[in-house]
Amino acid sequence: MAGKIDTVIICAAGLGSRLGLDMPKCLVEIGGHPLIYYLLNVLYDVPNIRMVVGFKEDIVMDCVRKIRKDVVFVRNPAYTTTTNSYSLYLGSHDLQVPFLNIDGDMYISRDNYEKFVDKIVPGEDLIGVTLSYTEDAVNVLLDSENRAIGFSREKISNYEWTGIAYLANIKIRKEGLYIYQELEAYLPIQTEEISCFEIDTPQDLEYLSNKMGHL
Amino acid sequence: MRVAFCFDLDGTLTEEEILPQIAKHVDLYEEIELLTKITMRGLITFSKSFKLRVRLLSTIPIPTVKQTVNTILVNRPLQEFVRNNKSDCFIVTGNLDVWVDEFISREYGCAYFSSRAKVEGDKLIDIEKILDKQEAIHTLRNSYDLIVAVGDGMNDCSMLEQADIGIAFGGVHEPVSTLINIADYVCYDGLALAVLLKSLKQKYGREN
Repeated sequence: MAGKIDTVIICAAGLGSRLGLDMPKCLVEIGGHPLIYYLLNVLYDVPNIRMVVGFKEDIVMDCVRKIRKDVVFVRNPAYTTTTNSYSLYLGSHDLQVPFLNIDGDMYISRDNYEKFVDKIVPGEDLIGVTLSYTEDAVNVLLDSENRAIGFSREKISNYEWTGIAYLANIKIRKEGLYIYQELEAYLPIQTEEISCFEIDTPQDLEYLSNKMGHL
Repeated sequence: MRVAFCFDLDGTLTEEEILPQIAKHVDLYEEIELLTKITMRGLITFSKSFKLRVRLLSTIPIPTVKQTVNTILVNRPLQEFVRNNKSDCFIVTGNLDVWVDEFISREYGCAYFSSRAKVEGDKLIDIEKILDKQEAIHTLRNSYDLIVAVGDGMNDCSMLEQADIGIAFGGVHEPVSTLINIADYVCYDGLALAVLLKSLKQKYGREN
């Protein structure tokens, strides 16, 4: 499995306003460490990590460097008026190699990460879906071969888009609005079901804190 | 598309600041290091500080300075990138031509822009011209479509401002915050920076 992923782009530029804390979501402390600590540990064997930063970039860079020195930071100074899709464009526009995209506020175990990576076929795109757990999720309609054939804010399936994607052929455009909309042009796309968790709201944070307390 | 790569020298391509090392010959290491630090932070202008530092070091014969400069440690992955892309890499340094010329041609073999010294024999008489780094970018504009600039200090700001892609590199010390604010990328590891530079070259060096 090692060596399958050359580059990971972590998007962590946003305000995280729904969580309502005056700090970037990737820095929220859970179980004694900032959230990003767990993600960087999961990605320990990935040679190249890029992180798109914006909101409070100085403290994000400071914290991340202490965990891993060779992260390349990509600045998105327009983070208040742009979306994750633009951040991902900034992080990926020069890349000639496939890359994995993960949000900086994502919690994923190494087992689930490996499950996703094992499923990657070189040269082919793959996106991560999970059983729906949030109300305002982007839902993913799957065909009989577990390929994504549609995205919607409506409850069209029991699966939602995780934000985790291995992009081998898909190029994110500068003018894109949401990442799932950028993916739509390339449907059908193979999916892999994984278990992971994003911290968007105070309830998410409480849920994950409790869960980690039991680990 | 023709892509140029411009690098600051002291503390960016090299793993130590050069002037404090030279200052050891006149027992002024700590003093020059302090001056270098506050200059990096932009507390005094580069040109004022550089004049002062050169004045303090001007009694050292040029061959002695060159000898010291030749022992300066370099960042290996960046050196490899420059050597492999010699014709499109440029060192843009406020340092003096007579002090760094030999070092640059031996370690990197690329062209450079620098401040210029007035010399008599082995003796440094005065500074003829202090380089404003944006001049280098203006000159390169004639031959290049895209310019990438890498630096760490206050005197790299004009270079990054004029370049198309700016990279703040904290290989030796934290890049000054003004520079970070105008950079597109911030990087603290030489190998990771070399990977990024290769990627930019592959992408934009190929497009028409």
